[in-house]
Amino acid sequence: MSTDTIHFDEILSKYRSDPYEYVDMRAVHAGEIRFLVEEGAEVQGVSGEWQHIPGSPIYEITRERNPKVITSKTNGTVSFINRELDGKFVEAGTRLVTIRHPLKKKEIIEAILQEVLYLFPAPERARYFFSMDIQSRIDQKGARSIVIQPGDEIITMSLMKRDTPVFYDGEPGILHSIYFSPGDSIDQGVPLLGVCPEEKLSVVQKIITRVKAEWE
Amino acid sequence: MLAHGDLLDLAASLSADSPFSPSATHRILRYGAPLGCRISHHHTLSRCMDQLRDRIRATDRPAPATGKVVWADRLTASQGRFHRHWFAPEGGLHMAFLWADTLLPEWGRFLPFAVGIACCETLCAFGAGACLKWVNDILVQGRKIGGVLTETIIGVPGERYFLVGIGININVVEFPEELRSRATSLRLETGQPHGVTKIFAHLLARLQWNIGLLGYSEEQWLAGRIRFEENPVLLRWRELADSPGKKVMFGYDVQKAPLYRGTVLNIDRQGGLILCLEDGSKITEYAGEIEYLDAPDAQA
Repeated sequence: MSTDTIHFDEILSKYRSDPYEYVDMRAVHAGEIRFLVEEGAEVQGVSGEWQHIPGSPIYEITRERNPKVITSKTNGTVSFINRELDGKFVEAGTRLVTIRHPLKKKEIIEAILQEVLYLFPAPERARYFFSMDIQSRIDQKGARSIVIQPGDEIITMSLMKRDTPVFYDGEPGILHSIYFSPGDSIDQGVPLLGVCPEEKLSVVQKIITRVKAEWE
Repeated sequence: MLAHGDLLDLAASLSADSPFSPSATHRILRYGAPLGCRISHHHTLSRCMDQLRDRIRATDRPAPATGKVVWADRLTASQGRFHRHWFAPEGGLHMAFLWADTLLPEWGRFLPFAVGIACCETLCAFGAGACLKWVNDILVQGRKIGGVLTETIIGVPGERYFLVGIGININVVEFPEELRSRATSLRLETGQPHGVTKIFAHLLARLQWNIGLLGYSEEQWLAGRIRFEENPVLLRWRELADSPGKKVMFGYDVQKAPLYRGTVLNIDRQGGLILCLEDGSKITEYAGEIEYLDAPDAQA
Protein backbone atom coordinates (compact mmCIF):
# COMPACT_ATOMS: atom_id res chain seq x y z
CA MET A 1 0.00 0.00 0.00
CA SER A 2 1.56 3.34 -0.96
CA THR A 3 1.31 6.59 0.97
CA ASP A 4 -1.17 7.93 -1.54
CA THR A 5 -3.54 5.04 -1.25
CA ILE A 6 -3.95 5.05 2.52
CA HIS A 7 -7.37 6.48 3.28
CA PHE A 8 -7.59 6.75 7.02
CA ASP A 9 -11.31 7.41 7.23
CA GLU A 10 -12.08 4.43 5.04
CA ILE A 11 -9.85 2.11 7.02
CA LEU A 12 -11.11 3.33 10.38
CA SER A 13 -14.74 3.15 9.37
CA LYS A 14 -14.17 -0.41 8.20
CA TYR A 15 -12.92 -1.37 11.65
CA ARG A 16 -15.62 0.70 13.36
CA SER A 17 -18.43 -1.05 11.51
CA ASP A 18 -16.91 -4.50 11.96
CA PRO A 19 -14.26 -4.56 14.70
CA TYR A 20 -13.58 -8.27 14.34
CA GLU A 21 -11.09 -10.58 12.76
CA TYR A 22 -12.56 -13.67 11.12
CA VAL A 23 -10.26 -16.63 11.77
CA ASP A 24 -10.87 -19.65 9.56
CA MET A 25 -10.06 -23.09 10.94
CA ARG A 26 -9.30 -25.63 8.24
CA ALA A 27 -8.73 -29.37 8.27
CA VAL A 28 -5.15 -29.91 9.44
CA HIS A 29 -4.98 -33.03 7.29
CA ALA A 30 -7.37 -35.32 5.47
CA GLY A 31 -9.72 -37.26 7.72
CA GLU A 32 -13.23 -37.73 9.09
CA ILE A 33 -14.60 -34.70 10.91
CA ARG A 34 -16.74 -34.44 14.03
CA PHE A 35 -17.57 -30.96 15.27
CA LEU A 36 -17.31 -30.28 19.00
CA VAL A 37 -18.95 -26.82 19.09
CA GLU A 38 -22.15 -25.16 17.97
CA GLU A 39 -22.55 -21.96 16.00
CA GLY A 40 -22.66 -18.99 18.37
CA ALA A 41 -20.56 -20.69 21.03
CA GLU A 42 -17.95 -18.63 22.86
CA VAL A 43 -14.50 -20.20 22.58
CA GLN A 44 -11.17 -19.53 24.24
CA GLY A 45 -7.73 -19.36 22.68
CA VAL A 46 -4.45 -20.71 23.99
CA SER A 47 -3.39 -19.40 27.37
CA GLY A 48 -0.98 -19.95 30.23
CA GLU A 49 2.39 -18.45 31.03
CA TRP A 50 4.06 -20.51 28.30
CA GLN A 51 1.04 -20.45 25.97
CA HIS A 52 0.81 -24.14 26.81
CA ILE A 53 -2.85 -24.46 27.79
CA PRO A 54 -4.84 -25.38 24.67
CA GLY A 55 -7.91 -23.41 23.64
CA SER A 56 -11.45 -24.73 23.37
CA PRO A 57 -11.89 -28.00 21.42
CA ILE A 58 -13.37 -27.16 18.01
CA TYR A 59 -13.39 -30.38 16.01
CA GLU A 60 -12.06 -33.90 16.04
CA ILE A 61 -10.40 -35.32 12.95
CA THR A 62 -9.83 -39.06 12.58
CA ARG A 63 -7.41 -40.69 10.17
CA GLU A 64 -6.34 -44.33 10.25
CA ARG A 65 -8.33 -44.71 13.50
CA ASN A 66 -6.22 -42.00 15.16
CA PRO A 67 -8.55 -39.29 16.47
CA LYS A 68 -7.05 -35.83 17.03
CA VAL A 69 -8.82 -32.96 18.77
CA ILE A 70 -8.08 -29.56 17.23
CA THR A 71 -8.43 -26.56 19.52
CA SER A 72 -8.95 -22.87 18.96
CA LYS A 73 -5.90 -20.61 18.80
CA THR A 74 -7.96 -17.49 19.43
CA ASN A 75 -10.88 -16.39 21.57
CA GLY A 76 -14.17 -15.29 20.08
CA THR A 77 -17.51 -16.57 18.85
CA VAL A 78 -18.10 -19.38 16.40
CA SER A 79 -19.66 -17.52 13.49
CA PHE A 80 -19.73 -20.33 10.92
CA ILE A 81 -19.67 -24.11 10.92
CA ASN A 82 -19.63 -26.13 7.73
CA ARG A 83 -22.16 -28.43 9.36
CA GLU A 84 -22.79 -30.54 6.27
CA LEU A 85 -19.27 -31.94 6.68
CA ASP A 86 -20.01 -33.38 10.13
CA GLY A 87 -19.18 -37.08 10.06
CA LYS A 88 -17.72 -36.81 6.55
CA PHE A 89 -14.22 -37.34 5.18
CA VAL A 90 -12.60 -34.06 4.12
CA GLU A 91 -9.40 -33.09 2.36
CA ALA A 92 -6.60 -31.21 4.11
CA GLY A 93 -7.20 -27.47 4.10
CA THR A 94 -11.01 -27.66 3.88
CA ARG A 95 -12.61 -24.71 5.67
CA LEU A 96 -14.53 -26.06 8.66
CA VAL A 97 -15.18 -23.30 11.18
CA THR A 98 -14.83 -19.53 11.39
CA ILE A 99 -14.25 -17.77 14.68
CA ARG A 100 -15.16 -14.12 15.04
CA HIS A 101 -12.47 -12.62 17.20
CA PRO A 102 -13.16 -9.17 18.74
CA LEU A 103 -10.26 -6.82 18.03
CA LYS A 104 -8.71 -4.66 20.73
CA LYS A 105 -7.32 -1.21 19.95
CA LYS A 106 -3.77 -2.58 19.86
CA GLU A 107 -4.80 -5.35 17.49
CA ILE A 108 -6.51 -2.86 15.18
CA ILE A 109 -3.35 -0.78 15.04
CA GLU A 110 -1.35 -3.92 14.30
CA ALA A 111 -3.82 -5.06 11.65
CA ILE A 112 -3.55 -1.72 9.87
CA LEU A 113 0.22 -1.61 10.25
CA GLN A 114 0.56 -5.09 8.83
CA GLU A 115 -0.96 -3.79 5.61
CA VAL A 116 1.75 -1.15 5.41
CA LEU A 117 4.86 -2.83 6.84
CA TYR A 118 6.99 -5.53 5.25
CA LEU A 119 6.56 -8.53 7.54
CA PHE A 120 9.54 -10.82 8.05
CA PRO A 121 8.28 -14.28 9.05
CA ALA A 122 9.88 -17.01 11.20
CA PRO A 123 11.44 -19.55 8.84
CA GLU A 124 10.81 -22.46 11.22
CA ARG A 125 9.23 -23.15 14.58
CA ALA A 126 12.18 -22.25 16.79
CA ARG A 127 13.48 -19.76 19.35
CA TYR A 128 14.69 -16.44 18.01
CA PHE A 129 17.23 -13.82 19.10
CA PHE A 130 18.58 -10.71 17.49
CA SER A 131 22.10 -10.99 16.12
CA MET A 132 24.63 -9.50 18.53
CA ASP A 133 25.14 -6.44 16.36
CA ILE A 134 21.42 -5.67 16.00
CA GLN A 135 20.75 -6.33 19.70
CA SER A 136 23.49 -3.95 20.76
CA ARG A 137 22.13 -1.25 18.41
CA ILE A 138 18.61 -1.78 19.79
CA ASP A 139 19.97 -1.50 23.35
CA GLN A 140 21.84 1.70 22.55
CA LYS A 141 19.44 3.60 20.34
CA GLY A 142 16.16 1.72 20.07
CA ALA A 143 14.77 -0.40 17.26
CA ARG A 144 13.42 2.48 15.19
CA SER A 145 16.89 3.92 14.75
CA ILE A 146 17.95 0.81 12.87
CA VAL A 147 17.84 0.65 9.10
CA ILE A 148 18.13 -2.86 7.72
CA GLN A 149 19.03 -3.91 4.21
CA PRO A 150 18.57 -7.18 2.31
CA GLY A 151 21.45 -9.50 3.18
CA ASP A 152 21.89 -8.15 6.73
CA GLU A 153 22.30 -10.81 9.41
CA ILE A 154 19.53 -9.79 11.76
CA ILE A 155 18.44 -12.79 13.77
CA THR A 156 19.77 -16.05 15.18
CA MET A 157 17.42 -19.01 15.03
CA SER A 158 17.98 -21.68 17.66
CA LEU A 159 16.55 -25.07 16.81
CA MET A 160 17.55 -28.39 18.37
CA LYS A 161 20.62 -26.88 20.03
CA ARG A 162 21.82 -25.53 16.70
CA ASP A 163 22.16 -21.82 16.10
CA THR A 164 21.59 -20.57 12.56
CA PRO A 165 22.02 -16.99 11.35
CA VAL A 166 18.97 -15.60 9.56
CA PHE A 167 19.49 -13.00 6.85
CA TYR A 168 16.97 -10.31 6.00
CA ASP A 169 15.56 -10.63 2.50
CA GLY A 170 12.80 -8.02 2.39
CA GLU A 171 12.58 -4.36 1.45
CA PRO A 172 15.11 -2.02 3.04
CA GLY A 173 13.65 0.05 5.84
CA ILE A 174 13.41 0.88 9.51
CA LEU A 175 12.90 -1.79 12.12
CA HIS A 176 9.47 -0.55 13.13
CA SER A 177 7.71 -3.42 14.91
CA ILE A 178 9.16 -6.36 16.80
CA TYR A 179 6.71 -9.19 17.31
CA PHE A 180 8.79 -11.42 19.59
CA SER A 181 10.88 -11.23 22.72
CA PRO A 182 14.38 -12.66 22.42
CA GLY A 183 14.23 -16.34 23.34
CA ASP A 184 10.54 -16.76 22.49
CA SER A 185 9.42 -19.91 20.74
CA ILE A 186 7.74 -18.80 17.51
CA ASP A 187 5.73 -20.86 15.04
CA GLN A 188 6.80 -21.07 11.41
CA GLY A 189 5.39 -18.24 9.31
CA VAL A 190 4.49 -15.98 12.23
CA PRO A 191 5.88 -12.46 11.70
CA LEU A 192 9.03 -11.67 13.67
CA LEU A 193 9.56 -8.13 12.45
CA GLY A 194 7.70 -5.37 10.66
CA VAL A 195 9.96 -3.21 8.52
CA CYS A 196 8.85 0.20 7.35
CA PRO A 197 10.34 1.83 4.25
CA GLU A 198 11.66 5.22 5.35
CA GLU A 199 9.29 7.15 3.10
CA LYS A 200 6.27 5.52 4.77
CA LEU A 201 7.31 6.18 8.34
CA SER A 202 5.34 9.41 8.75
CA VAL A 203 2.20 7.70 7.44
CA VAL A 204 2.63 4.86 9.90
CA GLN A 205 2.96 7.32 12.77
CA LYS A 206 -0.24 9.06 11.66
CA ILE A 207 -2.13 5.77 11.67
CA ILE A 208 -1.04 4.98 15.20
CA THR A 209 -1.84 8.45 16.49
CA ARG A 210 -5.22 8.52 14.79
CA VAL A 211 -6.35 5.11 16.05
CA LYS A 212 -5.14 5.83 19.56
CA ALA A 213 -6.97 9.15 19.60
CA GLU A 214 -10.22 8.07 18.01
CA TRP A 215 -10.76 4.56 19.25
CA GLU A 216 -12.50 4.01 22.53
CA MET B 1 47.75 -39.84 11.20
CA LEU B 2 44.55 -41.53 10.10
CA ALA B 3 44.10 -42.26 6.42
CA HIS B 4 40.66 -41.63 4.96
CA GLY B 5 40.68 -45.09 3.38
CA ASP B 6 41.19 -46.67 6.80
CA LEU B 7 38.23 -44.73 8.14
CA LEU B 8 36.03 -45.94 5.30
CA ASP B 9 37.11 -49.53 6.02
CA LEU B 10 36.39 -49.07 9.72
CA ALA B 11 32.94 -47.61 9.02
CA ALA B 12 32.19 -50.54 6.72
CA SER B 13 33.28 -53.09 9.33
CA LEU B 14 31.23 -51.40 12.08
CA SER B 15 28.17 -51.53 9.83
CA ALA B 16 28.49 -55.28 9.29
CA ASP B 17 25.66 -55.99 11.73
CA SER B 18 23.42 -53.14 10.56
CA PRO B 19 19.74 -53.98 10.08
CA PHE B 20 19.83 -52.52 6.55
CA SER B 21 20.23 -54.44 3.30
CA PRO B 22 23.71 -54.52 1.71
CA SER B 23 22.68 -52.00 -0.94
CA ALA B 24 21.14 -49.66 1.66
CA THR B 25 24.25 -50.03 3.84
CA HIS B 26 26.38 -49.12 0.85
CA ARG B 27 24.32 -45.99 0.20
CA ILE B 28 24.43 -44.94 3.86
CA LEU B 29 28.21 -45.29 3.89
CA ARG B 30 28.46 -43.31 0.66
CA TYR B 31 26.44 -40.45 2.13
CA GLY B 32 28.71 -40.32 5.17
CA ALA B 33 31.99 -41.00 3.38
CA PRO B 34 33.26 -37.39 3.11
CA LEU B 35 33.59 -37.13 6.88
CA GLY B 36 37.28 -37.22 7.77
CA CYS B 37 38.46 -36.70 4.18
CA ARG B 38 40.79 -34.02 5.57
CA ILE B 39 42.06 -34.19 9.14
CA SER B 40 44.14 -31.45 10.64
CA HIS B 41 45.76 -32.46 13.93
CA HIS B 42 47.20 -30.00 16.48
CA HIS B 43 48.76 -30.41 19.87
CA THR B 44 47.23 -27.22 21.29
CA LEU B 45 44.55 -24.92 19.95
CA SER B 46 42.34 -22.29 21.49
CA ARG B 47 39.23 -23.82 19.91
CA CYS B 48 38.81 -26.32 17.07
CA MET B 49 35.61 -24.61 15.89
CA ASP B 50 37.40 -21.28 15.51
CA GLN B 51 39.91 -22.88 13.15
CA LEU B 52 37.14 -24.07 10.87
CA ARG B 53 35.14 -20.85 11.20
CA ASP B 54 38.17 -18.84 10.08
CA ARG B 55 38.77 -21.28 7.27
CA ILE B 56 35.21 -20.91 5.98
CA ARG B 57 35.39 -17.16 6.07
CA ALA B 58 38.81 -16.92 4.43
CA THR B 59 38.32 -14.99 1.19
CA ASP B 60 41.68 -15.89 -0.30
CA ARG B 61 41.17 -19.65 -0.37
CA PRO B 62 38.70 -21.98 -2.06
CA ALA B 63 35.75 -23.26 -0.05
CA PRO B 64 36.76 -26.01 2.39
CA ALA B 65 35.82 -29.62 1.74
CA THR B 66 32.76 -30.98 3.46
CA GLY B 67 33.84 -33.45 6.12
CA LYS B 68 37.01 -31.57 7.03
CA VAL B 69 38.03 -32.29 10.64
CA VAL B 70 40.17 -30.32 13.08
CA TRP B 71 41.42 -32.34 16.05
CA ALA B 72 43.47 -31.13 19.01
CA ASP B 73 45.07 -32.81 22.02
CA ARG B 74 44.14 -29.89 24.26
CA LEU B 75 42.25 -26.63 24.01
CA THR B 76 43.03 -23.44 25.87
CA ALA B 77 39.80 -21.49 25.36
CA SER B 78 37.18 -24.12 24.82
CA GLN B 79 33.55 -23.17 25.26
CA GLY B 80 30.21 -24.84 25.41
CA ARG B 81 26.88 -23.17 24.76
CA PHE B 82 26.40 -19.62 26.02
CA HIS B 83 30.18 -19.24 26.35
CA ARG B 84 30.26 -21.68 29.23
CA HIS B 85 33.76 -22.90 29.98
CA TRP B 86 34.51 -26.41 28.71
CA PHE B 87 37.36 -28.24 30.44
CA ALA B 88 39.54 -29.56 27.61
CA PRO B 89 42.91 -30.82 28.86
CA GLU B 90 45.20 -33.40 27.28
CA GLY B 91 43.62 -36.82 27.55
CA GLY B 92 40.32 -35.61 26.14
CA LEU B 93 39.02 -35.88 22.60
CA HIS B 94 38.49 -32.41 21.15
CA MET B 95 37.41 -32.04 17.57
CA ALA B 96 35.26 -30.11 15.15
CA PHE B 97 34.08 -30.79 11.63
CA LEU B 98 32.35 -29.12 8.73
CA TRP B 99 29.43 -30.57 6.85
CA ALA B 100 27.88 -28.84 3.85
CA ASP B 101 24.19 -28.24 4.54
CA THR B 102 22.63 -30.24 1.73
CA LEU B 103 19.74 -31.58 3.81
CA LEU B 104 16.18 -30.30 3.65
CA PRO B 105 15.35 -28.24 6.77
CA GLU B 106 13.09 -30.93 8.19
CA TRP B 107 15.99 -33.41 8.01
CA GLY B 108 18.82 -31.01 8.83
CA ARG B 109 17.28 -30.51 12.25
CA PHE B 110 18.28 -34.11 13.07
CA LEU B 111 21.99 -33.58 12.48
CA PRO B 112 22.59 -32.71 16.17
CA PHE B 113 20.82 -35.96 17.05
CA ALA B 114 22.98 -37.99 14.62
CA VAL B 115 26.16 -36.53 16.11
CA GLY B 116 25.02 -37.31 19.65
CA ILE B 117 24.20 -40.89 18.64
CA ALA B 118 27.67 -41.35 17.12
CA CYS B 119 29.32 -40.11 20.33
CA CYS B 120 27.12 -42.28 22.53
CA GLU B 121 27.65 -45.40 20.40
CA THR B 122 31.42 -44.85 20.45
CA LEU B 123 31.53 -44.61 24.23
CA CYS B 124 29.32 -47.66 24.61
CA ALA B 125 31.62 -49.61 22.28
CA PHE B 126 34.52 -48.86 24.65
CA GLY B 127 32.68 -49.97 27.74
CA ALA B 128 30.94 -46.87 29.12
CA GLY B 129 27.22 -47.23 29.69
CA ALA B 130 26.50 -43.91 28.04
CA CYS B 131 23.12 -42.46 27.19
CA LEU B 132 21.75 -39.31 25.60
CA LYS B 133 20.01 -36.38 27.21
CA TRP B 134 17.92 -34.25 24.82
CA VAL B 135 19.29 -33.07 22.45
CA ASN B 136 22.79 -34.50 22.45
CA ASP B 137 24.48 -34.35 25.83
CA ILE B 138 26.24 -37.62 26.57
CA LEU B 139 25.91 -38.85 30.15
CA VAL B 140 26.98 -41.82 32.23
CA GLN B 141 24.91 -42.30 35.38
CA GLY B 142 23.84 -38.67 35.18
CA ARG B 143 27.40 -37.36 34.86
CA LYS B 144 28.45 -35.62 31.69
CA ILE B 145 31.10 -37.41 29.68
CA GLY B 146 30.75 -35.54 26.39
CA GLY B 147 29.04 -32.65 24.68
CA VAL B 148 28.25 -31.35 21.22
CA LEU B 149 27.97 -27.81 19.92
CA THR B 150 26.35 -27.18 16.53
CA GLU B 151 26.07 -23.99 14.49
CA THR B 152 25.12 -23.12 10.97
CA ILE B 153 27.69 -20.94 9.30
CA ILE B 154 27.63 -19.20 5.96
CA GLY B 155 30.73 -19.35 3.77
CA VAL B 156 31.93 -16.55 1.55
CA PRO B 157 30.21 -17.82 -1.61
CA GLY B 158 27.00 -18.12 0.44
CA GLU B 159 27.28 -21.85 1.01
CA ARG B 160 25.81 -23.07 4.27
CA TYR B 161 27.72 -25.45 6.48
CA PHE B 162 27.01 -27.21 9.73
CA LEU B 163 29.91 -26.52 12.07
CA VAL B 164 30.00 -29.18 14.77
CA GLY B 165 32.25 -29.25 17.83
CA ILE B 166 32.63 -32.36 19.98
CA GLY B 167 34.33 -32.79 23.33
CA ILE B 168 34.62 -36.17 25.08
CA ASN B 169 36.41 -36.90 28.33
CA ILE B 170 38.54 -39.95 27.58
CA ASN B 171 41.47 -40.25 29.99
CA VAL B 172 40.77 -37.21 32.15
CA VAL B 173 40.88 -38.20 35.81
CA GLU B 174 41.06 -34.84 37.56
CA PHE B 175 38.31 -32.29 37.05
CA PRO B 176 38.09 -28.78 38.49
CA GLU B 177 36.32 -28.65 41.83
CA GLU B 178 33.08 -27.22 40.39
CA LEU B 179 32.79 -30.13 37.93
CA ARG B 180 34.01 -32.98 40.10
CA SER B 181 30.60 -34.26 41.15
CA ARG B 182 28.99 -33.76 37.75
CA ALA B 183 31.58 -34.88 35.18
CA THR B 184 33.14 -38.20 34.39
CA SER B 185 35.44 -39.77 31.81
CA LEU B 186 35.78 -43.03 29.96
CA ARG B 187 38.80 -43.92 32.06
CA LEU B 188 36.94 -43.25 35.32
CA GLU B 189 34.00 -45.34 34.13
CA THR B 190 36.00 -48.31 32.81
CA GLY B 191 38.94 -48.20 35.23
CA GLN B 192 41.54 -48.23 32.44
CA PRO B 193 43.21 -45.79 30.04
CA HIS B 194 42.22 -45.73 26.38
CA GLY B 195 43.98 -44.74 23.19
CA VAL B 196 42.53 -41.41 22.14
CA THR B 197 43.47 -41.93 18.49
CA LYS B 198 41.66 -45.25 18.39
CA ILE B 199 38.52 -43.72 19.88
CA PHE B 200 38.80 -40.75 17.53
CA ALA B 201 38.86 -43.13 14.54
CA HIS B 202 35.84 -45.02 15.88
CA LEU B 203 33.97 -41.76 16.43
CA LEU B 204 34.64 -40.62 12.86
CA ALA B 205 33.43 -43.97 11.55
CA ARG B 206 30.26 -43.71 13.65
CA LEU B 207 29.74 -40.14 12.47
CA GLN B 208 30.08 -41.34 8.88
CA TRP B 209 27.41 -43.94 9.53
CA ASN B 210 24.92 -41.79 11.42
CA ILE B 211 25.21 -38.71 9.22
CA GLY B 212 25.06 -41.01 6.21
CA LEU B 213 21.94 -42.56 7.69
CA LEU B 214 20.37 -39.10 7.84
CA GLY B 215 21.07 -38.51 4.15
CA TYR B 216 19.77 -41.95 3.25
CA SER B 217 16.62 -41.47 5.35
CA GLU B 218 15.87 -38.19 3.59
CA GLU B 219 16.32 -39.96 0.25
CA GLN B 220 13.95 -42.76 1.27
CA TRP B 221 11.38 -40.30 2.57
CA LEU B 222 11.48 -38.27 -0.62
CA ALA B 223 10.99 -41.48 -2.59
CA GLY B 224 7.96 -42.31 -0.44
CA ARG B 225 9.54 -45.48 0.97
CA ILE B 226 9.41 -44.43 4.62
CA ARG B 227 7.13 -42.15 6.59
CA PHE B 228 8.61 -39.19 8.44
CA GLU B 229 7.98 -40.84 11.81
CA GLU B 230 9.98 -43.87 10.67
CA ASN B 231 13.15 -41.76 10.62
CA PRO B 232 15.83 -44.31 11.65
CA VAL B 233 17.96 -41.60 13.29
CA LEU B 234 15.14 -40.66 15.61
CA LEU B 235 14.36 -44.29 16.35
CA ARG B 236 18.01 -44.93 17.24
CA TRP B 237 18.11 -41.78 19.37
CA ARG B 238 15.11 -43.03 21.34
CA GLU B 239 16.95 -46.31 22.02
CA LEU B 240 19.93 -44.45 23.48
CA ALA B 241 18.14 -41.65 25.34
CA ASP B 242 17.29 -41.69 29.02
CA SER B 243 15.29 -38.43 29.00
CA PRO B 244 11.73 -39.88 28.83
CA GLY B 245 10.30 -40.19 32.33
CA LYS B 246 12.82 -37.81 33.87
CA LYS B 247 11.78 -34.82 36.00
CA VAL B 248 13.56 -31.83 34.49
CA MET B 249 14.05 -28.10 34.59
CA PHE B 250 13.64 -26.54 31.14
CA GLY B 251 15.11 -23.31 29.85
CA TYR B 252 16.71 -21.86 26.78
CA ASP B 253 19.79 -21.26 28.94
CA VAL B 254 18.71 -23.48 31.79
CA GLN B 255 21.65 -22.59 34.04
CA LYS B 256 21.15 -18.83 33.90
CA ALA B 257 17.43 -18.60 33.20
CA PRO B 258 15.46 -21.73 34.08
CA LEU B 259 11.88 -21.43 32.90
CA TYR B 260 9.81 -24.27 34.32
CA ARG B 261 9.77 -27.81 35.70
CA GLY B 262 8.17 -30.77 34.04
CA THR B 263 8.42 -34.44 33.24
CA VAL B 264 9.68 -35.61 29.88
CA LEU B 265 6.99 -37.66 28.18
CA ASN B 266 8.57 -38.39 24.83
CA ILE B 267 10.19 -36.96 21.74
CA ASP B 268 7.88 -36.07 18.88
CA ARG B 269 8.50 -37.01 15.26
CA GLN B 270 10.27 -33.71 14.63
CA GLY B 271 12.60 -34.26 17.57
CA GLY B 272 10.68 -31.90 19.86
CA LEU B 273 10.71 -32.55 23.58
CA ILE B 274 7.20 -33.25 24.91
CA LEU B 275 6.92 -32.20 28.53
CA CYS B 276 4.16 -32.58 31.07
CA LEU B 277 4.13 -29.54 33.34
CA GLU B 278 3.29 -29.60 37.01
CA ASP B 279 -0.29 -28.44 36.30
CA GLY B 280 -0.81 -31.45 34.03
CA SER B 281 -0.67 -29.52 30.75
CA LYS B 282 1.66 -30.50 27.94
CA ILE B 283 4.14 -28.46 25.94
CA THR B 284 6.54 -29.33 23.13
CA GLU B 285 9.87 -27.54 22.87
CA TYR B 286 12.13 -27.42 19.83
CA ALA B 287 14.95 -25.32 21.24
CA GLY B 288 16.47 -25.07 24.66
CA GLU B 289 17.94 -27.50 27.14
CA ILE B 290 17.02 -29.52 30.18
CA GLU B 291 18.64 -30.38 33.46
CA TYR B 292 17.66 -33.54 35.23
CA LEU B 293 16.36 -32.74 38.69
CA ASP B 294 17.27 -36.13 40.09
CA ALA B 295 20.88 -36.29 38.90
CA PRO B 296 23.91 -34.03 38.65
CA ASP B 297 24.42 -32.18 35.37
CA ALA B 298 27.90 -31.26 34.34
CA GLN B 299 29.65 -28.85 32.07
CA ALA B 300 27.48 -27.86 29.13
